[in-house]
Amino acid sequence: MRRGLGSVCLALCLSTPFYGQPSFGIRSNEAPNEDRYVYKALPDIVIQTVATADARLSTVWRDKPVLLTMIFTRCAGVCSPFLRSLKRAAADAEGLGRDYRIVVLSFDPQDSAADMDRMAQSLGLKSDPAWIFGVASPGDIRRLAAAVGFWFYWDPSVGQYDHPSLLIAVDRGRVLRMLAGAEVPSASLREVAQELRGKFVSSYALAGKVAFRCFEYDPDRGRYNLDWGVLLMLLPATCALLSVAWAFSPISRRAGPP
Amino acid sequence: MASVANGLYGESEIRKFRRMTVIWGATVLLLLPILALLGYFMRWVQAGAFTQLRPEWFYAVLTLHSLGMVGTWFVGSMAGVSYLLLRYTRPSLAVSRLSYWGTLVGVLLLIVCTLGGLFGTGWYFLYPLPLMSQHVWQPWATFTFFLALAILGVCWTIWTLDILRAIARHYSLSAALGWNYILGREGPEVPPLVLITTVSLIVGVAGFVAAVLVIALFAARALGVNVDPLLMKNLTFFFGHVLVNITMYLGVATVYELLPSYAGRPWKINRVVALAWGAVLFLILFAYFHHLYMDFAQPAWIQKFGQICSYGLAVPAGVVSIFGTLALVYAARMRWTLASTLLFLGIMGWGVGGIAAVIDSTVEVNFHFHNTLWVPAHFHTYYLMGVVLIILGLIDHVGKEISGLEERAARSKLTVALLLIGGYGFLSMFYWAGAHSVPRRYAIYPLEVSQGTLYARIAVGFITVLLLGILLYLWETGKRCLKALAA
Amino acid sequence: MIQMHAFYVFLGVAGFLVAMFLYTAWSTRHAKDIDYHSAYALRRKLLLLVAAVLVLGLAMTLAKTPYPRDQDVPSQVVFVVGKQFSFGISASPITNEDEYLAATYSTPVQVTAGSLVEFRVTSFDVNHGFSVYSPSNRLIAQTQAMPGYVNRLRIRFREPGRYHVLCLELCGSGHHRMRGVFDVK
Repeated sequence: MRRGLGSVCLALCLSTPFYGQPSFGIRSNEAPNEDRYVYKALPDIVIQTVATADARLSTVWRDKPVLLTMIFTRCAGVCSPFLRSLKRAAADAEGLGRDYRIVVLSFDPQDSAADMDRMAQSLGLKSDPAWIFGVASPGDIRRLAAAVGFWFYWDPSVGQYDHPSLLIAVDRGRVLRMLAGAEVPSASLREVAQELRGKFVSSYALAGKVAFRCFEYDPDRGRYNLDWGVLLMLLPATCALLSVAWAFSPISRRAGPP
Repeated sequence: MASVANGLYGESEIRKFRRMTVIWGATVLLLLPILALLGYFMRWVQAGAFTQLRPEWFYAVLTLHSLGMVGTWFVGSMAGVSYLLLRYTRPSLAVSRLSYWGTLVGVLLLIVCTLGGLFGTGWYFLYPLPLMSQHVWQPWATFTFFLALAILGVCWTIWTLDILRAIARHYSLSAALGWNYILGREGPEVPPLVLITTVSLIVGVAGFVAAVLVIALFAARALGVNVDPLLMKNLTFFFGHVLVNITMYLGVATVYELLPSYAGRPWKINRVVALAWGAVLFLILFAYFHHLYMDFAQPAWIQKFGQICSYGLAVPAGVVSIFGTLALVYAARMRWTLASTLLFLGIMGWGVGGIAAVIDSTVEVNFHFHNTLWVPAHFHTYYLMGVVLIILGLIDHVGKEISGLEERAARSKLTVALLLIGGYGFLSMFYWAGAHSVPRRYAIYPLEVSQGTLYARIAVGFITVLLLGILLYLWETGKRCLKALAA
Repeated sequence: MIQMHAFYVFLGVAGFLVAMFLYTAWSTRHAKDIDYHSAYALRRKLLLLVAAVLVLGLAMTLAKTPYPRDQDVPSQVVFVVGKQFSFGISASPITNEDEYLAATYSTPVQVTAGSLVEFRVTSFDVNHGFSVYSPSNRLIAQTQAMPGYVNRLRIRFREPGRYHVLCLELCGSGHHRMRGVFDVK
């Protein structure tokens, strides 16, 4: 009986992540596909910061659009570099604070609001109102993660979580864009910031090697710039002008048939 | 002729030029019924006849009919203008002959690749469709098609440049573009024919260069270079839009030149006319954007600019020329012959088609009309009831002038009645179908747009009437042309 | 219905033009000299009138384009791929041939009436015309499906029912039978 009970306890211990470290989602080498989650509604979870015990995420996104990301403070890998890169890109993109805010949540149940506050301090963002560092309940984190395809996996061999780096642009509670990757390119963030400001790009070119495009989208100004293909478009009119110059030139006019 | 008196051409050279013009006219008259019958066939297919026919045939015939008609009326306009310009300058007979033989070769190659090779991309051969046929047409048919375009393009470009050169021999650029009138300066009197032809052909050169670029980029794609489809669309529609518009403008130029002699009143350039056609020179370069409204990849500001230019184009070309025609004819001691009637009605048809075109060039409307039958409705109107009537009038005028054969008034009236009833009746079915969301270029109408079959059946009836009118015209005018050839 | 409005405007204006031509032709029965100054003055007025009408037309229509600058965030995105000769329409991204084939044969996508839907339309081969027909078979919206580009078309459906998609850009011998379908509930 005691051995049976012990076996059950051991099985339970082995099946439960050690020290209560949950994993969630399906671990993958590929980042979540933005297209699968665009316009999906996010759950309106409760977040805790050092300033507030229970603020709803919706109060944040109703005020301004939000860039949302999930990290954990004990991260020895990508989280801090990712946040630093995000900080740089946001400074480049302009509009942070005015057009949108950044919400950084921890998915690690061991992180507290104070831990997140210390993280903010280490990044020099503690007193920046445009950045919100907070935590949420494990249940809420799982709901949020499921809504955007985010996963996290506890690897006991290294004592770390494996997870993607994901930045989710949220407008009125819906996913607008998702950027994946350890580094946040300034150009990508500028494009996302444009969309958060309400700019709508009615078409975009798929990546690929194409000769002589007409237009290239400029995320800085939120509009299309002329590209090399336009030179080809100017060629017909240029040739017409040259033809006129030739036909009506004094030499041609004199040299024509009598 | 004036050119003899002016010492521009000798008597025998005039005769040769006239003969070449009659040959052009006769060729146009030969191509007209053939190409019209192809169109008739297409409407029959859409009416539900020939149910066993493979749809590839419909698309091949569509390609030949559309390209054939665009080309035929272009050369008809060019030949007509070239002949009328003899009054003022000396276009080259050799170049006209070269263009003629080049056109024949090009047409033959088009027939081979479409009816022989089932090449079926429609007239605007939108990239990359010619290269992706799903094995319906073979690469040789695609090659033959582009060879035909290249031959036609080269010959027609040379012809265009020659006429510009001929005009430049006797008119400076500022005179030919009517700038003296705009600036109120003294200068030689410039006939409207010269002004409109100069404007049209300057733009025409641009159109042909665009076609060359399209062919070159297709070749690049065949060699493995990925070309931007949006760029190709822009170039293709620029070329097509220009070619069709200058055909109409050259036709309008012949009306400016010929109608005054029937009305017994002059039609001269003044500041307004010169300004109008100067505006055309600019606006026509950008109006083609209205073909790409449904390409959201084109920036919105370009789409809106396209609408502004399309609307703007209606004012100079349309209002000035239409008002001019009405003012010329109003209460005039008008000689109503078959030729003058067709010239007059051709301007009307051009106006009607233009109204439908301006409506469709509104982005909001185009969102519901793009690639429905409204599109062939408007371009068949300003082509069939516009420039075709004008050129038929011109050919009849030249045929009468050379042959001396008079017309029979009753037959002329019957011809006009059949052309109008048949033509506008056929077109009304296009308009009605377009307004009811029936797509263009469908071999068979699916259930959602099954009403298209009924409209096609009604159209077939009207086309029969139209064809009778064409046949009667060919009979009467054909006799004059044959006599003129023999003269 | 905008198509019929446009048609009646066309009938009206074209009818007026034809009437002018017929009147002018009839006037030649009673020939007389005309006063060119009056004619030029009339032309000036006509030019101003037509220009005013066109400017009014531009003012009324230029802002109404299908390239929305919506402040609304769509509730749903639908992915569309045109390929000779069928439309693949799916609520999930279509990134390859297998997904396209699955999308052409799957249960029709459902969108909610009254909500804003965004169609992301592209092509895997040639140009196609993604054209949406309502249950009453009226063309209500369209955009081009162009290879190498994704066009974003936003529609708010009012009428529930089955919507058909026809191809309105000539794409080969199967052009007339190319179709797609989705439901609005």
